[in-house]
Amino acid sequence: MMNPYKSQKAVIEDIIQETENIKTFCLKPEKPFAYRCGQFAELMIPGVGEGPFAMSNPAHQPEKLQFTIQNVGYMTSRLHNLNKGDVLGLRGPYGNGFPVEEFYGKEVLLVIGGVGFPPARALLYSLLKEKSKFKRIIMCYGARTPGDIVYKYQIDEFKKDIELLMTVDKATADWKGTEGVVTVLLDKVKVDLANAVSVVIGPPIMMKFATLKLLEVGFKSKDIYLSTERKMYCGIGQCRHCMIDSLFICKDGPVFTYKQLENLPDIWE
Amino acid sequence: MAEKYYVGKAHWKSILNGWMEKYSVIAPQRENGGLFFQPVSPENSTTIVYNEARAVQPLKSFLTPPLSEMTGDVAKSEKPWLFLGVKACGLAALPILDQAFGGDFPDPYYQQKREESLIVSTDCSVPLETCFCTMVGGNPYPVKSFDLNLSQVWDGFIIEVGSLRGKELLEGHDRSLKEVVKEEEEAQKKIRAKAVADIKTYNKNFSFDESVASVVAKSWDSPVWKKHSETCVECGACNHACPTCHCYFLDDVTRKDFVKLRGWDACQYSGYAVTAGGGTPRPKLFERFRNRYFCKFKYLKDNYGMLGCTGCGRCFEGCQGEIDMRAALSDLNK
Repeated sequence: MMNPYKSQKAVIEDIIQETENIKTFCLKPEKPFAYRCGQFAELMIPGVGEGPFAMSNPAHQPEKLQFTIQNVGYMTSRLHNLNKGDVLGLRGPYGNGFPVEEFYGKEVLLVIGGVGFPPARALLYSLLKEKSKFKRIIMCYGARTPGDIVYKYQIDEFKKDIELLMTVDKATADWKGTEGVVTVLLDKVKVDLANAVSVVIGPPIMMKFATLKLLEVGFKSKDIYLSTERKMYCGIGQCRHCMIDSLFICKDGPVFTYKQLENLPDIWE
Repeated sequence: MAEKYYVGKAHWKSILNGWMEKYSVIAPQRENGGLFFQPVSPENSTTIVYNEARAVQPLKSFLTPPLSEMTGDVAKSEKPWLFLGVKACGLAALPILDQAFGGDFPDPYYQQKREESLIVSTDCSVPLETCFCTMVGGNPYPVKSFDLNLSQVWDGFIIEVGSLRGKELLEGHDRSLKEVVKEEEEAQKKIRAKAVADIKTYNKNFSFDESVASVVAKSWDSPVWKKHSETCVECGACNHACPTCHCYFLDDVTRKDFVKLRGWDACQYSGYAVTAGGGTPRPKLFERFRNRYFCKFKYLKDNYGMLGCTGCGRCFEGCQGEIDMRAALSDLNK
């Protein structure tokens, strides 16, 4: 019987400083780590701890993993102190991932906040891999300040392939774009509601207001896909820390339609 | 028709002695006024308490211990456990643990222990005043999920066979096993009915039955949660004592590379669901209190098709705040 608690080893091959407190860790796992975009892994620092993180590399490149991680707590601050060559533990992939096939033939609108971009990037790679299958790909991305934007070096490249709109909550003198939370971008986007889906990824408060805005614009709750997060240990539907009502985020999610969640209490906490 | 035998006291002793050679027999012994599952040897085999209420520890303390290493080898025991004297309320918890630690990513340690262990349950003829199994769909006597069940009748036991492995436990004892006679069966029936009646008496001030689950599920906004959590000190005893609670944390506290520990967690702890950014879905005490009831009566039912409460009463027996789940459930049911 396989031991689901054991991690394989993954070497840090490179570290990209994305912003002041966000780094991308490029990992080479011992064994190829094939996954569906939207799934996540349990990353472990030996002797320190373990936590769930979403991959941000193309899902079809299982030998070169990337995790873009913000320094926000005990584990992530220690991750940020690691160097090239350090070895991490890795187990997974876990969760359901994005049902990309359900998006075929449709306009796909991504509404992304902050470090929601990493899993969104994995989704974008998957969408672009079969771009002709989708009618349109639009992404509205909001960051706190211009300095908090991740993957700056890829923005122009993505703009060639998708409609990418960006905003910052707080502009700086050199920012020429939109100012305001991500929902302001939704006023600028016109989609064919009868044939569109939206994907929301970001911090809870942003996801709440983005979802409410999408509903206001006319999206049906079954067409709004949310990538959810909660405290999590096992990743395999046992430890029960990540539950929303009777749903395991780690196993039934992390991707849910808003229809699945709309009648449940406290989903935005 | 279930396979049943009667075995007298003298013969029982030789059967038990035989088991002790092959298995680590674990059975309830009286200690500090309570019953505790203890290893049984020829020295203390005469003080096993067969027919009284459930032990203080739930079976999960053995099958998924409070703290264990999860990255070592999964070892087969030389002498597997034989749990003797498990009550119906303990057996009722097993299908939940089996499903939680089975499924798509089975816990190999739990599976190994569970598969190799034997369970010889016994009737509960002396319920505690905290017992309420009959109010959540149970009975004080086992009807399934055992290898053998013993009903103490007079100076011996009616033994009911519940599995092939249970039948094997009786191999070689053919001459000790008598056919169950009508008088013994009637005595068993009487003892069982008395236990049910006792539980009813102990619970005369409470009013709910297993359908309370649907009441709980509709009571998110009830004032009951605040009212009954007033004396909660968030010690987590209710969680740890519960035979179905199985939330855990994983940790690398050994500070050794790639060694992972698993420990019991408790949803009553304020830090239980706190994320890296410091947020939590249940910042208030009454919300965490409510979560336990929702888990027992809704979430586990949704997940595993059965109530997460077996009516064992451990959660309030061990409660420092003297919060009686029956009172809260009765209040909800008003």
